[in-house]
Amino acid sequence: MFAELNAILNTSPDSFKQGEFILVSDRRADASFLVHHFLSFYLRAGCKVCFLGLAQSFSHYNAVSQRLGVSLTQAKEKGQLLFLEGLKESLDVLLGRTSDTGSRALDFLRDPAVGLRCLYEFVQASVSDSGDGGEGGGGPPVLLVDDLTVLLSLGVSVGSVLDFSHYCHATVCSQLKGNMVMLVRCEGEEDEDEDGDEEGSERLLKGLTHQCSLTLHVQGLPTGFCRDIHGQVEVCWRKTQKDKPPNQKKLFQYKVHDKGASFFARGTSSAVL
Amino acid sequence: MLLELIQGTEGGGLIIIQDSINYSGRHLLMSFINAALKRDEVVHLLAFELHEEDLKHELDHSCFQRLTFHNAFQDPLGWNEQPPFTVHQFITKELDSLLTPTHLSKPVTLVIDSFSWILRHLSPPSVCKTLQRLKKGGAVKTTLGLLHSDMHHRNMVGSICHLATSVVTLVPGHQCHEAVAKTIRRAKSGTISQAEERFSFNEDMSVKVQSQPIQVGAPQTDAGDAEVDPTANLTFNLRLSHQERKAKEKLALPFVFSKEKKSALLHSGPGSGRILYEPDANDDYDQEDPDDDLDI
Repeated sequence: MFAELNAILNTSPDSFKQGEFILVSDRRADASFLVHHFLSFYLRAGCKVCFLGLAQSFSHYNAVSQRLGVSLTQAKEKGQLLFLEGLKESLDVLLGRTSDTGSRALDFLRDPAVGLRCLYEFVQASVSDSGDGGEGGGGPPVLLVDDLTVLLSLGVSVGSVLDFSHYCHATVCSQLKGNMVMLVRCEGEEDEDEDGDEEGSERLLKGLTHQCSLTLHVQGLPTGFCRDIHGQVEVCWRKTQKDKPPNQKKLFQYKVHDKGASFFARGTSSAVL
Repeated sequence: MLLELIQGTEGGGLIIIQDSINYSGRHLLMSFINAALKRDEVVHLLAFELHEEDLKHELDHSCFQRLTFHNAFQDPLGWNEQPPFTVHQFITKELDSLLTPTHLSKPVTLVIDSFSWILRHLSPPSVCKTLQRLKKGGAVKTTLGLLHSDMHHRNMVGSICHLATSVVTLVPGHQCHEAVAKTIRRAKSGTISQAEERFSFNEDMSVKVQSQPIQVGAPQTDAGDAEVDPTANLTFNLRLSHQERKAKEKLALPFVFSKEKKSALLHSGPGSGRILYEPDANDDYDQEDPDDDLDI
């Protein structure tokens, strides 16, 4: 959890806005540090977290979270964290082995054209059965996805992913007043192509941007690689807030450290001042 | 023109608000709904992208009672049990049954948030057919909808916008609380009027137009029609008279090397310096090879 980012977003584990859909995206940079931030943030806040880990293994997230001061293994044992290990389970489905957990979440791999209804049903079941799992019952449920672009690579269409995110939004954010964080990765340059024949990830990003309430868009520096500034992050509040108009944007530069990250206004890095 | 559209003085039809990820048009849609409710119209909201709770924050509580909310947000594809409204119900028959139990005396406004959701799941021809039926008559006076134009192919956006009586395209303004609305309106007579207006929102969700509309009116007719002589108003002369030509021929150009010039350069007048060179005894000056003395 990064204190500086909490200050920017005006939130803390003790008091955070409920019912938010936060979209994290990146282009020519790596935004996974923000996923780790939100994972440790919501675990500290005492929320019941459902994590769809499609990009990395559990031990990877566990190792990073340990550096941020949160133990995923403990949270999992307590029942606060429900982790879908996408890498392992997708292999089970593809090789035709019977899954250890017996979940049908990744059944779409057999026929990607049918859509992500089974994955949604897994999410719905895991966020709504609160009360039976230890300390997880206190806070609102949270869904984290890392990352949605993997689904596109697995043959799912953009429309199906948008339907999935819509249903998660309706269930987690609106019905249960929980929060949702999703990561999308975009490749290549942002092109103003008027034809509308753009790549899947671009269309996915646009569709999700229309759905979400807050976007964090991580980019590499336009001037190229730098040792002291790892990139810039654009924060955009898409919904109306108190005494603030919608579509408000702020741009920060960041540097990821060993155990955290620092955010600063453009051009105010300690390396250049 | 934006204010006239919101106040509904134009007399119904199909109004489309086009937005993009740079500027969300939902705020403007809310102003339209608020204005219609204040005019005591019956408003039906078919919401695919909006939760009822969010709406309560945005709209006037006094007006909220007169709004009929059709929840297509919760379960638009029928994945859960007993969906209130699915996207596949967006056909004339279903919409008619949805809109019939209203007061017949009052005009009905149908608000769709958003067309993008419908267009992602239904074929464009069937959507166009349904919209055309809605426009042509029946219970609904005004159909109003949001369209995320950057999510669709431009042909699809174009065909939907062709049906509309008014299209409002939103782009962000220079200041953060401002936006620019480009409005195109087709009157029943067939004339098309356009306007570009800067606007912002007041506290009570009403729209405040910042500047006088820039009328883009009829296309200009004078440009390119008449053949213009490019030599008409020159600051120099293109032709020479006989005398001018003679004077020009007389003039010796500076780079022409005449006999007089050559002699003037070679035989310089008194008082100018000259170079005298007497070869030394050691000088082994060979005309053929001037670099002879170099030890290469």
